[in-house]
Amino acid sequence: MMMPPADPIVQVRHVSHQFGDEGETRHVQALQDTSLDVARGELLCLIGPSGCGKSTLLNVMGGLVAPTTGTVTVAGKPVRGPMPHDISFIFQEHALFPWNTVFENVVLGMTFQGVPRAQREERARRALEAVGLSEFAAHYPGELSGGMRQRAALARALSLETDILLMDEPFGALDEQTRMVLGEDLSVLLSQSHKTIVFVTHSLGEAVFLADRVAVFSARPGTIKEVIAVEEPHPRKPDFMTSPKFHRLRDELYSLLHGEIRKAMAETPQPRRRYGEPAPADTTGTAQ
Amino acid sequence: MSRAPSEVSAVRAPRDTVSAWTRLRRWFLRHPGVARLGVILILLVIWEIAARFYVDPNYLSPPSTVVFAFDDVLATNGVPDALGVTFYELAVSFALAVVAGVAIGLPVGLSRFAHRSFMPIILLLYGTPQVTILPIFVLLFGIGPASKIAFGISHGVFPVIILVAAGVQNIKPIYLVSARSMGANRWRILRHVIFPHMIPSFFTSMRLAMTAVLLGVLLAELYVSTAGIGYFTSVFTQDFNPTKLIGLVAILAAMAIVLNEAVRRAELHYGRWRA
Amino acid sequence: MRRPGAGKRRERGLSRLVQVGFAVFLLAAWYVATTWGEVSHLLLPNPVNVWHQLVSILASGEFVPDLRVTLGELAIAFAIAMSLGITLGYLISRSPYAIKVFEPLFSGIFSIPIILFLPLYVLFFGLGPASKIALGATIGFFPIVLNTIAGFGNVDRVLIAAARSMGAGNLQMFRHVLMPAALPVILAGLRMGFTVALLTIIGSETIASLSGLGHRIVNLAENMDMARMFAYIAFVVVIAAFLNAVVSAVEARGRR
Repeated sequence: MMMPPADPIVQVRHVSHQFGDEGETRHVQALQDTSLDVARGELLCLIGPSGCGKSTLLNVMGGLVAPTTGTVTVAGKPVRGPMPHDISFIFQEHALFPWNTVFENVVLGMTFQGVPRAQREERARRALEAVGLSEFAAHYPGELSGGMRQRAALARALSLETDILLMDEPFGALDEQTRMVLGEDLSVLLSQSHKTIVFVTHSLGEAVFLADRVAVFSARPGTIKEVIAVEEPHPRKPDFMTSPKFHRLRDELYSLLHGEIRKAMAETPQPRRRYGEPAPADTTGTAQ
Repeated sequence: MSRAPSEVSAVRAPRDTVSAWTRLRRWFLRHPGVARLGVILILLVIWEIAARFYVDPNYLSPPSTVVFAFDDVLATNGVPDALGVTFYELAVSFALAVVAGVAIGLPVGLSRFAHRSFMPIILLLYGTPQVTILPIFVLLFGIGPASKIAFGISHGVFPVIILVAAGVQNIKPIYLVSARSMGANRWRILRHVIFPHMIPSFFTSMRLAMTAVLLGVLLAELYVSTAGIGYFTSVFTQDFNPTKLIGLVAILAAMAIVLNEAVRRAELHYGRWRA
Repeated sequence: MRRPGAGKRRERGLSRLVQVGFAVFLLAAWYVATTWGEVSHLLLPNPVNVWHQLVSILASGEFVPDLRVTLGELAIAFAIAMSLGITLGYLISRSPYAIKVFEPLFSGIFSIPIILFLPLYVLFFGLGPASKIALGATIGFFPIVLNTIAGFGNVDRVLIAAARSMGAGNLQMFRHVLMPAALPVILAGLRMGFTVALLTIIGSETIASLSGLGHRIVNLAENMDMARMFAYIAFVVVIAAFLNAVVSAVEARGRR
């Protein structure tokens, strides 16, 4: 276990979260007494078996869900709701509005955040250029591939110019090759911009390739089992993936996770949820 | 584990100290049907108060009066007969509409050529406002049950044709291929593959047919103001008798609900594999 | 070896022929039956007469007052149904519990033939346009409110979460997320409400009215003026088809 960072930008203290009330059939303890610090400018990965609460923790960090107990502090301020000027989100389902073009989507994000009208279009153009989507600005999300949609979502998040980016399995719906390319691009981005990124993933390789530190979750009820450091400067080249250090770290992650994954798979299936209730394992921003 | 009070943002109370009020609220939330009944009750109360104190009794009667006047309505000479005739018309229209619908829908569905030729015509007829030719039906068939039944059939036959044809048409080709590969001939395929596949659509079409038949028969009945239900609605209206009028309409509404519900249950039961 | 598309094209052409042939056959049979056949003029007028009557009605503009009454009733009824339906639908959609309480209630009432309530409305509002407007508004309300509830209630939750995370306020959320997402479903509800209100209004005019197109048709039937009645029926059918086409086009544009 490593020492917590000296100047954390996000502090999670003893966060627990449950869905439903105790004693009811739909009760689920998603997180149990989780504490974590995120250093300024680092890319921290959250990894763990299905249902371990990593997405819930992300939502709690971002103010989309109020935890049952515990606190979160971001940049010195307690988190009581969404903080659009400090935190932007990227979800697994890209969450681009299908009735707007890519460009309109990016502009709309700034409209919500409160960016003055005069600045919006220019910032949108710059953000789209940074992710390589300038040519497709006038297209609708439905006309783009999965990888391009996630780039657009990234552009939208970048245009908001927040210090912190929370990403919930952003590459989960993409094929392996697109994932690798986008991962490399993300690494380049991080080295250029000094943003703090918290990144939820299932993929061991992705975690080791992208992260400065990896927080490993236990099975439900989730808590952080261990935090591993990957000491490798950004931007990371593709050949990092074939280095012995990479393999060693990957094996270490695997041995930490192995037992937890089996434990999660042995879970009894959840009862069918009724209309309007969040599925216990469905944590992509379901709270309103 | 100890934590300073200032760090705690929200703590849920353990179950046994939850107040009775909270428990009642939670039970209420789990049973929306109760709230629904509550809404209906509130509406009835508003009706009662409005009718009793605010509206001229020539135009509106409170529910309490209406409820007690039901036997009065039924005692009115000719009303039970009219109701009986209406029910008879509904039943006959429905049965004939379904039979005719299947008789037309099956061949249209089975032949791709027939489907392509005739379905647009059928859909066109289905889309026209039949209420405009209601007077013609009455001129043709008279003011007795015949015109009501004919008009009802004319409404009810279309959903049956369309859905039965669709149920036959949209069978997945893989089922037919699979049956033929196992050696089934045309008749066997019809009986064991196409027919069972069509059943859920058939029952759905019956539900729609019942709604349509209700509309057709009731439209015709209300139009003919010299006999049947239409006569009594006319009389009660002209006599400014809201009590009896509401009572009569309520009985008819109940009839409609019962018939709709019966067909809906049949649909749920026989359409089960489609779920 | 035949070209692969030929069989399909031939079939399509043939079915088109059948349709046209069917229409021609009906028209011809109608003409023959009334010109040389035994069919009474009091039942089925000669198509030529019907055509002349139709031309005369259109040319003289005598249809205008009735058309104005019917369309006026429709416009007001639809306006009422739309404002009530969308407002109530939106408010209910904000709470999953409210949806569970009210949606079955509304679908249940809608399954009864609302035309049943016409005598009550006539008793209360009289034989004039008011009763038709009230009934049309009542029946048009239900598909609109049900579709509005469905439209707003089924907005993808990820979109709402994303907008919230970017700092969207309530008004922004409604304008930029909820409304565009729900629009196609709401427009479908408006189309259904329009269609059903139109039918109900014409039906009500047929049953109990002093004016309007439905009343005109009944009037002509009672006077046994068959050719003119048929002309008016044709006129109303065309008007209804035209209005429905317009409404469907609006709905389709909204789904763009």
